[in-house]
Amino acid sequence: MSNKMVVNFTSWIKSAAGISITISILVAVFAAINSGPYLIVNTVVTGGMLALVATGLTLMLGVLNIAMFAHGEFFMIGSLTAYYVFTPISEFISENPESFVAVIGPLIAIVCAAIMGAISGVVAEKLVFGPLRKRSTDNWVMNSFLLTVGLSVLLVNLHQLIFGADFKGIVGYWSGMPISIADVFISRDRAMAFVISVVIVAMFWFFMTYTRTGMSIRAVSQDITGAQIVGIDIEKIVLLTISLACALSAVAGGSLLFMYPSYPTVGLEPLYLAWFVVILSGLGNILGAVAGAFMVALLKAITVEYIGAGWDFVIPSALIMLVLIFKPSGIFGSDVRGALDK
Amino acid sequence: MLLEVKNLDAGYGYLQILRSVSLNIDKGEYVGIVGPNGAGKSTTMKTIAGLIPPMGGSILFNGEDITGLVTSQITKKGISFVSEEMNLFVNMSVRENLLMGAYIIKDKKVRNDRLDFVFDLFPRLTERKDQLAGTMSGGERKMLAIGRGMMSDPKLLLVDEPSFGLAPQLTANVFESLDVLIKTGVTIMLVEQNVTKTLSVTDRGYILENGKIGMEGASCDLADDPYVRKVFLGV
Ligand SMILES: Nc1ncnc2c1ncn2[C@@H]1O[C@H](COP(=O)(O)OP(=O)(O)O)[C@@H](O)[C@H]1O
Ligand SMILES: [Mg+2]
Repeated sequence: MSNKMVVNFTSWIKSAAGISITISILVAVFAAINSGPYLIVNTVVTGGMLALVATGLTLMLGVLNIAMFAHGEFFMIGSLTAYYVFTPISEFISENPESFVAVIGPLIAIVCAAIMGAISGVVAEKLVFGPLRKRSTDNWVMNSFLLTVGLSVLLVNLHQLIFGADFKGIVGYWSGMPISIADVFISRDRAMAFVISVVIVAMFWFFMTYTRTGMSIRAVSQDITGAQIVGIDIEKIVLLTISLACALSAVAGGSLLFMYPSYPTVGLEPLYLAWFVVILSGLGNILGAVAGAFMVALLKAITVEYIGAGWDFVIPSALIMLVLIFKPSGIFGSDVRGALDK
Repeated sequence: MLLEVKNLDAGYGYLQILRSVSLNIDKGEYVGIVGPNGAGKSTTMKTIAGLIPPMGGSILFNGEDITGLVTSQITKKGISFVSEEMNLFVNMSVRENLLMGAYIIKDKKVRNDRLDFVFDLFPRLTERKDQLAGTMSGGERKMLAIGRGMMSDPKLLLVDEPSFGLAPQLTANVFESLDVLIKTGVTIMLVEQNVTKTLSVTDRGYILENGKIGMEGASCDLADDPYVRKVFLGV
């Protein structure tokens, strides 16, 4: 029994996933010893949020076969919504600092961001992707990809037109003393951002693994004809998936408002990073996307720390190219090919 | 009459394959459709299952017009399609695949009863219940596809080429399991290229050639027919 576990463990360590996760953990530990634990804190906070954006991207790719390049704009919609919801709330809090609103207020803003993300996702499906799907699915991957690029440009410019190009940010969500763990001080906002991402990823994983609806989303991604045959209403799943995916991205935008103020192109960085994650971890693997998100976040934090702020996209993309040369299916790409890998 | 297909036209895009196909099945019957490769057997089944929209004609199920309904609605009416390609969920376990087969059943207890029923029918699947569908052998996957088709407790099971690509021993197993199913009261429409075998197990048969029904009758009569013997059985 335990012998078998040891064998399983050694073969996992030797797999691409095992090697890369082990190396990442080692690198993180060394970097933390070398330049201070804040590096790990940064990695974990951005990694958690990146996991949300990347999971959404994975869903769009896996279930809808859409290479989504407008996903960052849903991040932007989330941050914008959170900004406008939280601004009046924060005025109220500054007048009544003892009120329970000081605790609940930020959560309300973040939940509104999620809801707004979901609604915009549905609107995008109804106005953009749905009509294309009805007209023709020939050359779908290319055509839908071009549509997402157009959607991205449109949303960025709409933001600029309606809300202006200035930074719309907040000082912080949760006031109060930073939380200290051992000798490390973590601001409440960062700690909460991490907690939110962990809770959402866990809920999402549970939803996808055990619930009937989550399973039917996976079923559609693996074999759409099979899904139709067993009685799944594809249109319903498509709508649900797109709203979920966009809500995930918007939650990240809302939660990180204290770090990234809202402006028209705020979504570009999370979009690129999320694509790094998806390519690195292999298409359509949710747990892989989560692990990949932390790796990319670590890579970015380390690059900024040791090489310089301008390099934080160069080094990760170079490394990803290297990975792809040796393992084209991504680090966590499974041996069983699903519909997503075609 | 459980299923009544009247003057069905269907095809792909502008390409018409089926020309005025009419067939019917009574409750509890075991009916075979045989014919050469490319005759339109799979097209017939896909159209009945709602995967291809009909160009003309009508399909009645239990007296109700189901022409033009989408697949998920047709499945809910009680028709289950086991396709030639099987369309399994390759990254899901055998158990998960079967549970997805019972997607239209809301009651968890009924779902578990169906699962027991299918595991009884295919003990082999019980042994493999945690294995990913994509890593199973061809024969096991066929069993899984039929098992998944049975999970929704269908009134009519459409089975497309269950023996395709299987070794003779496994083919025999698959036909045996269909025999068991017929005895449980399911109605089966079977499509096969293996004409001798099909006509020996089914009650009634249709011969489909070039998208048209060429002949129909009791399977034993068809098997003795000089034309069928010459063209399909090569004797
Ligand atoms: N997806 C498709 N698109 C266009 N033509 C098709 C498609 N599938 C099958 N056909 C054509 O339809 C005809 C009938 O095919 P099919 O119903 O699969 O035959 P059978 O199952 O009897 O072998 C064939 O000529 C085949 O080439
Ligand atoms: Mg066929």
